Amino acid sequence: MVLQPPQLFSIVTGSSEPIYRQLVEQVRRLVAGGQLAAGDELPSVREVASMLAVNPMTVSKAYSLLEAEGLLARRRGLGMVVAEQSSAQGSSRERAELLRPTLERAAREARELELDHATVLALFTHILKEPS
Amino acid sequence: MTAPIIQMRDVAKYFGGAIVLSSLDWEVRQGQVIGLLGRNGAGKSTLMECLLGLRELDGGSVRLFGEDVAALSDASRARIGYVPQKSNLFEWMTPLQLLDYFKAMYPRWNAVKVDALLERWGFDALMLAKPIGRLSGGEQQRLSIIRALAHDPELLVLDEPVSSLDPAGRRAFLAELVDGVIERGTTVVFSTHILTDLERVALDVAFLKGGRIALQGPLDELLEGARNTLDGRRAEPVSLEDLFIEVTQ
Repeated sequence: MVLQPPQLFSIVTGSSEPIYRQLVEQVRRLVAGGQLAAGDELPSVREVASMLAVNPMTVSKAYSLLEAEGLLARRRGLGMVVAEQSSAQGSSRERAELLRPTLERAAREARELELDHATVLALFTHILKEPS
Repeated sequence: MTAPIIQMRDVAKYFGGAIVLSSLDWEVRQGQVIGLLGRNGAGKSTLMECLLGLRELDGGSVRLFGEDVAALSDASRARIGYVPQKSNLFEWMTPLQLLDYFKAMYPRWNAVKVDALLERWGFDALMLAKPIGRLSGGEQQRLSIIRALAHDPELLVLDEPVSSLDPAGRRAFLAELVDGVIERGTTVVFSTHILTDLERVALDVAFLKGGRIALQGPLDELLEGARNTLDGRRAEPVSLEDLFIEVTQ
């Protein structure tokens, strides 16, 4: 299955998270969550760059890092595919760890807003229960 | 390592008593896509005009493709594309006449690309036959960009190229930059105040401050470096906007 870039990637500009990091995190989450399985083909660097209007080198950098991590593998004639060993879903602890950057950002904003822990946790619980 | 495409040494430029550029050294290598940043009035346009040989220097030297810019060969000149901040098109000509005029000046002219861009960017028959002076600011800017891309330049210098464009026009421009320019390995120097556009395409940024390049480096590294080492403690993450304010203050 080839996933289309719009389904797969989205980026936020004006963020403190460089664009290549955002792409890396997204692939990690998709693999950990099982939306991307071993052997799934990723869109080409060109397709992603063109779709998101970002420099192809930025996409290439993200893919190379993921390849070095062993999450993606370069397959001749096919481009990048999800590597075999990453087919098993990570443990729930591993998957939760992927939420950390987002939650750290939320925690920082909560502190800036001077919210107490109970209020923030109640809100998060509420959001988790909302239909997605 | 190949010679730099742009090489500026000890460049000085004054306007009356005002020092705009002073002891400025700058190098841009082949294939680099550099965002040039600086406050209003920092001299970004002057820097671009000096590097293109459009202004006489008050000191120092500029070399483009290894040649002195003051005696640039026609062959090297034909390798450069430039979009000035204020479009300098002949207002009494129509877009078609203008493009024909420039077509005759360049040995290489990509008519297929020009036609495709004209169509994609909304130049219909009516608009192509109107005097340029009666086009809107955004339409003139789009025409100026098409003119600069038409001969597939190897060095593209863009001075606030999207200041008159709406968000859809800016996105279309960025898409063309990614697909039609960066893909070809073109060297790009790009000034803009729209940092969210810049971070999509620029791999490197250079800050102009106090008449010289105060800081230059890969954008990702500058963002991550500022995050990790500001004051030696773990600082809050910074965005390009934070960095801009920090560096140009």
